[in-house]
Amino acid sequence: MKPSVFKYFDPTSVDEAIGLLQRYGEDAKILAGGQSLVPMMNFRVARPKVLVDINKVQGLSYIREEGEEIAIGALTREREVERSTLVREKCPILSEAVSHIGHLPVRTRGTIGGSLVHADPSAEIPTVICALGGSMKAVGPSGERSLGPEEFFLTYLTSALGPDEILTEVRVPVLPPGTGWSFLELSRRHGDFAIVAVASIVGLDGDGRCNRAAIALGGVAPTPIRAREAEEALLGRALEGALLEEAGRLAAEATEPESDYHASADYRRDMARVFVRRGLEEAIERAKGGR
Amino acid sequence: MKIEGKHVFKAPVQKVWEHLTDPRHLEKALPGCERLDEKEPGKYDATLKIGIAAIKGTYQGKVEVADPHPPKRYRLRGEGSGSPGFVKGEALIELSEQGDRTTVNYEGEMQVGGLIAGIGQRMMGGIAKMMLGQFFKNIEKDLGRTG
Amino acid sequence: MADGRRIKVKVNGVLYEREVEPRRLLVDFLREDLELLGTHIGCEHGICGACTVIFNGQPVRSCLMFAVQADGAEIMTVEGLARDGKLHPIQEAFQENHGLQCGFCTPGMLMTAYHFLQENPDPTEEEVRVAVAGVLCRCTGYKQVVDSVMAAAAKMRG
Repeated sequence: MKPSVFKYFDPTSVDEAIGLLQRYGEDAKILAGGQSLVPMMNFRVARPKVLVDINKVQGLSYIREEGEEIAIGALTREREVERSTLVREKCPILSEAVSHIGHLPVRTRGTIGGSLVHADPSAEIPTVICALGGSMKAVGPSGERSLGPEEFFLTYLTSALGPDEILTEVRVPVLPPGTGWSFLELSRRHGDFAIVAVASIVGLDGDGRCNRAAIALGGVAPTPIRAREAEEALLGRALEGALLEEAGRLAAEATEPESDYHASADYRRDMARVFVRRGLEEAIERAKGGR
Repeated sequence: MKIEGKHVFKAPVQKVWEHLTDPRHLEKALPGCERLDEKEPGKYDATLKIGIAAIKGTYQGKVEVADPHPPKRYRLRGEGSGSPGFVKGEALIELSEQGDRTTVNYEGEMQVGGLIAGIGQRMMGGIAKMMLGQFFKNIEKDLGRTG
Repeated sequence: MADGRRIKVKVNGVLYEREVEPRRLLVDFLREDLELLGTHIGCEHGICGACTVIFNGQPVRSCLMFAVQADGAEIMTVEGLARDGKLHPIQEAFQENHGLQCGFCTPGMLMTAYHFLQENPDPTEEEVRVAVAGVLCRCTGYKQVVDSVMAAAAKMRG
């Protein structure tokens, strides 16, 4: 099918874009990479009356180190994030996560901001941002505000952005040297939506005890979730064997998966358990080997 | 897909029964319901505007409050179709009183078809649960209003 | 047309100027407005890859872009591979290695391979598999596709 009729605007500034959102309200939808929105429009499942194409807005595409964080403009293409040496060196879990997104032509147009606002709970970027504890900058007529992942992701396909706000930037922390990390995704084929995705970040102190643990899961709830109880179980302990199994079990209990064509809820829950354990093993190896 | 669950209301069973079967209350509680017009006793034409994020659609359909056994149980039937697809569901709703509380148990089936089912299949279960949650929240709010 | 926009697009080296409706998909613009039927439509939601074209040097799903977004851009479609009637080495390799049967996915395969080999002129088979995984082929089972791309790489390395 073809999209239904819409009014088209291609603003060149954030202010102009916000002005259009204010004017047209719920009738307007932002077009960034289009890799999630246009399929819905082609099926006429989404029928925005007004399309605000922000691809010409200046100043929204960048990757910069700013102190202990990396600031990435919302319009930065996923392919650029994937190829960025700065990201690979300072926040490698993000590079790895992005490399799992669809296929190359999708990452050529898809944007980091678009993926966040689309808020698909199985998507790689929302999941890894949950583990990293990044922050999202939203700009609207009344100014700017910064949201953490738990405030930002409300439910399926729903972010906390107001109808007249646009996402301009996402910030992720630089991972200190020696931080272990892992991003694992279970899907039927490379490029398919994740059945389960697990992003893990682990820090070990001088005695080999865990001083940092973040485990985020995608595909198992209406938003990506943090397995807080599993994380608590790891802090201050030496990470090995039975403890990792326990973390997997606790993480699986935190999930609220649904069944669909690809996987039953039980399978997702069980795979969450397995992939959390595997993810921790991989992250620990990285922390120890410093790779 | 199967839908089942329960919800506890802090209200006597007679009041909860009223709120779950009277079209004036149902109209306010059904998510996105714009109107409920009685065609025959217990049978209503409905217009529902539902969706999530960019996927919004208007569904025209029917809602039926069937086999009423006040205040213990009834069957709620609904079906609607619109451009994004169609929805059809039926649930057995049972009420039981415990002191000043009423427990509502529901069990039923829901079918979603058309484009929205094809595209949204992996989220359909979760979204259906969310809408049910919304329905019960709305009933609760309404109960609070009429005291 | 109501709400039409004038766009200027260079396709396979030729500059075209046309008026389009905003909702005109890029793939439909190429096929209907420019009558370049080589680019195929398989799924209209970005999954099958048959609509892949090179847009400002990068592979994109043309079914997920609007023609108005191509204003000022340079596009290469499968029609741009052959020069003066002579097949591109990638097309020769597909021909020689049975890299197609029904041919429906082939434009997507060729454009994907074209870009891939530019970035990775000496790939492993595994790297080729990952690259072509983004184009769905129901006929070949992919073996002949991978063989064709490996053969094309060898041809182009000379």
